[in-house]
Amino acid sequence: MGPTPTITIHVPGPLRPYCAGASQISLAARTVRAALEDLERSQFDLYRNVCDETGRVRRHLNVFVNADNVRDLDGVETTLTPGDVVTILPAVSGG
Amino acid sequence: MADRVVLTIGTKKGVFVADAATPRRSFGLRGPFGPGIPVYSTLIDMRGAPRLYASSCNPFFGMKVLRSTNMGKSFEETKSAPAFPKEDGRALANIWSLEPGSGKKELWCGVEPASLFRSTDGGDSWEMVPGISNHEHARKWQPGNGGLCLHTIIRDGSRVHLGISTGGHYLSEDGGETFRASNQGVGAGFAPYPYPEFGQCVHKIVRHDDAPGRLYMQNHGGWADWTGPGGPRPDIGVLRSDDYGRSWRSIAKGLPSDFGFPIVVHPRDADTVYVMPLEPGTRSCPGAAPAVWRSENGGDSWSRLARGLPKKQTYFTVLRDAMDIDQLKAPALYFGTTTGQLWIGREGGEKWECLFDSLPPIHNVKVAVV
Repeated sequence: MGPTPTITIHVPGPLRPYCAGASQISLAARTVRAALEDLERSQFDLYRNVCDETGRVRRHLNVFVNADNVRDLDGVETTLTPGDVVTILPAVSGG
Repeated sequence: MADRVVLTIGTKKGVFVADAATPRRSFGLRGPFGPGIPVYSTLIDMRGAPRLYASSCNPFFGMKVLRSTNMGKSFEETKSAPAFPKEDGRALANIWSLEPGSGKKELWCGVEPASLFRSTDGGDSWEMVPGISNHEHARKWQPGNGGLCLHTIIRDGSRVHLGISTGGHYLSEDGGETFRASNQGVGAGFAPYPYPEFGQCVHKIVRHDDAPGRLYMQNHGGWADWTGPGGPRPDIGVLRSDDYGRSWRSIAKGLPSDFGFPIVVHPRDADTVYVMPLEPGTRSCPGAAPAVWRSENGGDSWSRLARGLPKKQTYFTVLRDAMDIDQLKAPALYFGTTTGQLWIGREGGEKWECLFDSLPPIHNVKVAVV
């Protein structure tokens, strides 16, 4: 197993007050689940906005790895590679 | 400083604060705070320096509790909001009630799925109250149309009354350590047996300090014409207890409908109680003509209060926490509508006037004189 990949989490505007205004967070994680667990340890105020008490990603949020919704990949078990961008977005559309 | 009447208005798009000098001639409006986020419960906490609280129920990012220490000029999030223990398996879906506890900083909070939380530091930290949250009935309760919510918390010495939709009325007589279902005489319309031990769709419960043991309840009525198993169950919607909620009897006779959501008691007369009867189908007032109904004899008879309200073609709903009454000598009633109007009923509801016409849909109205 190689070194743990360093990835970037893109933080949406409404959640930046929960991580000192940061728009991006870099961390090392092999999967989306591991990235969320890292946030639980290092950025709990941000984490509680993304995951509910059971640890599940909140129902009306979508998590993307690069351009793909993890729902269409392996969910939170989706593996990450160096340089991946994980984006958290509310599941909302216009119209 | 002269007394002011302060209103907190929880809406689909945040919380607003309105206030006026005590003649109540003109109300100013501030907000929305927590803009764009639904607010289902507010509290004007009059213990010590007044504090305002509001639940901010974000469907995307979860639940928050907002607090204002400057009478609604600004709000800030408390350090945390109620949350189930990770191993519990439930996740908070909504915050439905905020009530003061003992001392100056204790708060109680009712949530969805129906559970109770308590804070001893003004809302900065919370712990689940297991006596009801882990009650043997808790996993058997079913959600009503508004969700499975614990919406009413009434503290009366060592007694705690809870209203749960749909769970019924639960009573603690040991300060909230243990609870039991206490629904004798409380009907249910959506079960073959009309008087189950629990599972009633209680909409709101109120009490008055001057009438020990008495409670009024707006229950889910509208089942007078039911012809299925168990037969019709008229008048199960508006109820009264005189034994601390151990048993209940109907006081719905004389109302045009026993269905409704809010129920409010006069600040100085325990016999005067107000409801807003709704048609169960449309959840609007009978004949599409809004009216509050008042009893001045504890529910033995009712009179219609509609002067100044629209006379036809009005289909708003007034939700369970969207009506309140102030504490002035000639108290005024207030209700907010799902179509965004805030109405004041001066002289105890004798004369109605629309204060604000185009707010977001209103979930919650609380008033205090500060």
